[in-house]
Amino acid sequence: MSIVDVFGEYVDKLCDKDPQKARVLLRTGWQYQDLKFKFMPDRRLLPADRYLARLMMDTMLKPLKAPEQTAIVSIFTPAELLQEVGLSPYNAEGFSCYLSASKVERSCLQQAENTGIAETLCSYHKTFLGAAQRGLLPKPRCIVYTSLMCDANLLTFRALSQLYDVPLFAIDVPLQQNEENVQYVAKQLRDLAAFLEKHTGKKVDEDSLRARLETSKRTLEKFRQFQMARADRYIPEDLVSPLYCGMTNNLLLGTPQEEKYVDMLLHDVQSAPAKKGKHIYWMHTIPFWSEAVQKELLFNENSQIVGCELSQVNEPDFDPSSPYEALAHRMVYHALNGSVTRRIDAGIRHAKEAGADGVVWFDHWGCKHTMGGAQLAKHKFEEAGLPLLILDGDGCDRSHGGEGQTSTRLGAFLEMLNGDKL
Amino acid sequence: MNKLYYVCKYTPIELLEALGADCANLNEMPEGFECADQIAHPNICGFGKAVIEQVMSGQVKELVLVNCCDTIRSVYDILAESGKLDFLYMLDMLRSTGECSRERTVAQLHGLAKAYSEYRGTTFDREAFFKAFRPNPKCKGPYISILGARMGAELYDMVQKCMPYPVENDSCVNNRSVGEMLPPEDADFDGLMEWYAAELLRQLPCMRMMDNTGRRQLYNNPNLKGIIYHTVKFCDFYSFEYAQVKRDATVPLLKIESDYTLQSSGQLLTRLQAFAESIAVDWQEGTEKKMGKGYFAGIDSGSTSTDVVILDKDKNIVTGIILPTGAGAAAGAERALEEALQDAGLERGDIDAMVTTGYGRTAISEGDRSITEITCHAKGAHFLDPSVRTVIDIGGQDSKVIRLDENGAVVNFVMNDKCAAGTGRFLEMMARTMEMSLDEMSKAGLKYKEDITISSMCTVFAESEVVSLIAQNKATDDIVHGLNKAVASKTAALAKRVGGEERYMMTGGVSKNQSLVKTLEEKLGTTLVVNDKAQLCGALGAALFAMDMVERA
Ligand code: SF4
Ligand code: SF4
Ligand code: SF4
Repeated sequence: MSIVDVFGEYVDKLCDKDPQKARVLLRTGWQYQDLKFKFMPDRRLLPADRYLARLMMDTMLKPLKAPEQTAIVSIFTPAELLQEVGLSPYNAEGFSCYLSASKVERSCLQQAENTGIAETLCSYHKTFLGAAQRGLLPKPRCIVYTSLMCDANLLTFRALSQLYDVPLFAIDVPLQQNEENVQYVAKQLRDLAAFLEKHTGKKVDEDSLRARLETSKRTLEKFRQFQMARADRYIPEDLVSPLYCGMTNNLLLGTPQEEKYVDMLLHDVQSAPAKKGKHIYWMHTIPFWSEAVQKELLFNENSQIVGCELSQVNEPDFDPSSPYEALAHRMVYHALNGSVTRRIDAGIRHAKEAGADGVVWFDHWGCKHTMGGAQLAKHKFEEAGLPLLILDGDGCDRSHGGEGQTSTRLGAFLEMLNGDKL
Repeated sequence: MNKLYYVCKYTPIELLEALGADCANLNEMPEGFECADQIAHPNICGFGKAVIEQVMSGQVKELVLVNCCDTIRSVYDILAESGKLDFLYMLDMLRSTGECSRERTVAQLHGLAKAYSEYRGTTFDREAFFKAFRPNPKCKGPYISILGARMGAELYDMVQKCMPYPVENDSCVNNRSVGEMLPPEDADFDGLMEWYAAELLRQLPCMRMMDNTGRRQLYNNPNLKGIIYHTVKFCDFYSFEYAQVKRDATVPLLKIESDYTLQSSGQLLTRLQAFAESIAVDWQEGTEKKMGKGYFAGIDSGSTSTDVVILDKDKNIVTGIILPTGAGAAAGAERALEEALQDAGLERGDIDAMVTTGYGRTAISEGDRSITEITCHAKGAHFLDPSVRTVIDIGGQDSKVIRLDENGAVVNFVMNDKCAAGTGRFLEMMARTMEMSLDEMSKAGLKYKEDITISSMCTVFAESEVVSLIAQNKATDDIVHGLNKAVASKTAALAKRVGGEERYMMTGGVSKNQSLVKTLEEKLGTTLVVNDKAQLCGALGAALFAMDMVERA
């Protein structure tokens, strides 16, 4: 048994008796991992991605260290407002990934299912909820979520706020892209600012918020430059970095740390060697734990992931001088809002910019919007000249794996792309 | 004229009628999802797939959707792309009901009115609008409520037939309350739409609304006699509410799930009947019987075996027979009964009353009445050991957990029959993969050394996991123990769901599997009562019911 298995089992057993102690153990384990990132980083990664690993770890350690300074959010909640009042946001997808990497996801999933939660609910949400019910997830200051993209948000966060008895704020984002809807969301964001002020005792300073949005805008612009620059380069990639970037480019957008990360990327890409192998653009979350996917795409010169949809959902086309409208605009015109064709079009554009040779559309178990759009996506990506593989799996719950299938499908797809070399 | 179909209670039906539409609720359950599985994905909600099927088959030409959930949004995307409809529209219904969202709703109403009148070439007919408001009649006396996700028309019919009280459908689109009030006489079109938007939003909120605290009144009605909580496979919304209803409701509660196809209705029927038996007072009054020779028979016609028990008037088991069911339930029952009579040295005429139970119960024409295996199992278990409060039955095809009270009446139950995981079939298949007999398997898991976890719950995936464990040269005992653990945790989860209490009794074929029983005991943290008559439990209960029929006469 590996050290992680033993660790996971230990946390699990302890959690049944004393959740408080289990949290401490989990924190210790993750801190150890953090130190490892610091002193023994994975040298195969770009310096920027080594930095990213620590950024992400820090984000997930915060709730274990100082929960009263954190807020649980859905991933597309505009983080800038929370940062302004000194709250660190963390999300279900990120935290559940870490739980899964520590192999404690199974018991959390089971816990949630025992209370009657549907087996078909997205496993990130189910793990998160189960962890909260078991006492493994500390009580946050408040919860803020948006209806954007996914129903699970509405359900999980409402349930969590009842469980913890903490204040909840919901941002309702309409589907259609128009100015009235931007105003509707902007009004809610102003209410959110007031909500945050009330529950933290801090003021949201508009000037400071403006400056923060300038940072966000620059970060998004520079990230896009990096994505374009990588098109003809070889960048060694693991499975978690593109996913982490998908998290931090939302949760940490507007922070100097995220801008630093993007600056490092722009720096690193200059000395990267010329393109080797095939570029794969990844739509939706990545099953980092899957050995079948690792075999094909982990530090593999023949094929690498060159970007994950989740890191490119916001366009930098907003005007920071009116910050609430800017944030509202970003949400209403978010790549995953509205009809799935908007999402597909954004994916095609970003895949082409990163010089993708093929695209994987990952049908994460329980993600209805992604699954529902899969066949349309296949059609449209291929029409645009990008071969697309629809891959069914689960980003978090190993029991939905089907490793055999994944291996055959992904393997065959890459063989097909590499047809010239076989 | 084509009908205009809608799916949601927030649809402005009255407005559409005023524009000349003939509106109907789209709610049929198709045979299967051949087409939808292909152009959408098998793992989206069955209702969404049902809508796709009906549109693709050409039955539906006009459709107004509401962006209720991720599934419906996807259905809209797919149908828009298909070009199969003459008129397709999706209302962007907001999730909050405050002042701003009312404004946005008014804008939506204007948008729809414009689109439909352009399509049909009609204009707003004020009189028709007023006429379209019709109140929805509600049950006055005691009733049973269907809550949760929408229920297909065919399943709803079946529920109505089974239940001992009138049934009120309070789910999804059926819970529409617009129509109780009439629009203001003096308002112009804009004014009417203002009022109408508020009226639509004033309805009892669905689970997809951000604030849905008002839903509690659905299960706090004093006339409510029972709740049938329905969920649709791959719909997440309502399992959350179910978790809450389960905690808070004070009336009997049955949870059923459908995938929106007609197929599984037969299995749901058993559950519905068992539920009806547990809430009604008068269901036990069957044909009254006179005491004759004082013998009573119960036949349990299961999918693999048919069991018969004959009791004498002092409740002694005169005989208990277990035979394979064979080709037909009726023929199998006939044979088993004959054998039982022979064994007891009795004639058919010596039996005063006979009750049938099990999957095949309705196919058997003999017998004075038929009762579901859930109710019979509870009665049988109570007879064998009155201290038992929870029965765990893992059979070949299904598994069930039944909670009973101190009189042996059913308090709550769950069944798993859609998937092999957690049933005897799962173990059988795995035994085959490992090339061992069930008997060998029953002992193998006892002496394990390494604690292996089989992570896949699905039989197909689990099988490939087992194959790879064999390839890794893992010890047979360890693998078997891993499999037992998988079945045991699935079963323990079922037990948790009904609020299992001590003492537990285990029945069904799998109760003979020693190593599984041991693992399950560990999971539950208690010992299981395993009675050597456990396999006859259902038939025994049926025979006891047969006796009750006579004694009361
Ligand atoms: S993976 Fe899909 S279902 Fe899960 S949280 Fe993300 S968007 Fe929602
Ligand atoms: S659940 Fe509510 S919002 Fe959704 S379709 Fe049904 S009635 Fe409409
Ligand atoms: S049953 Fe659930 S998933 Fe299906 S359409 Fe209704 S709310 Fe949506």
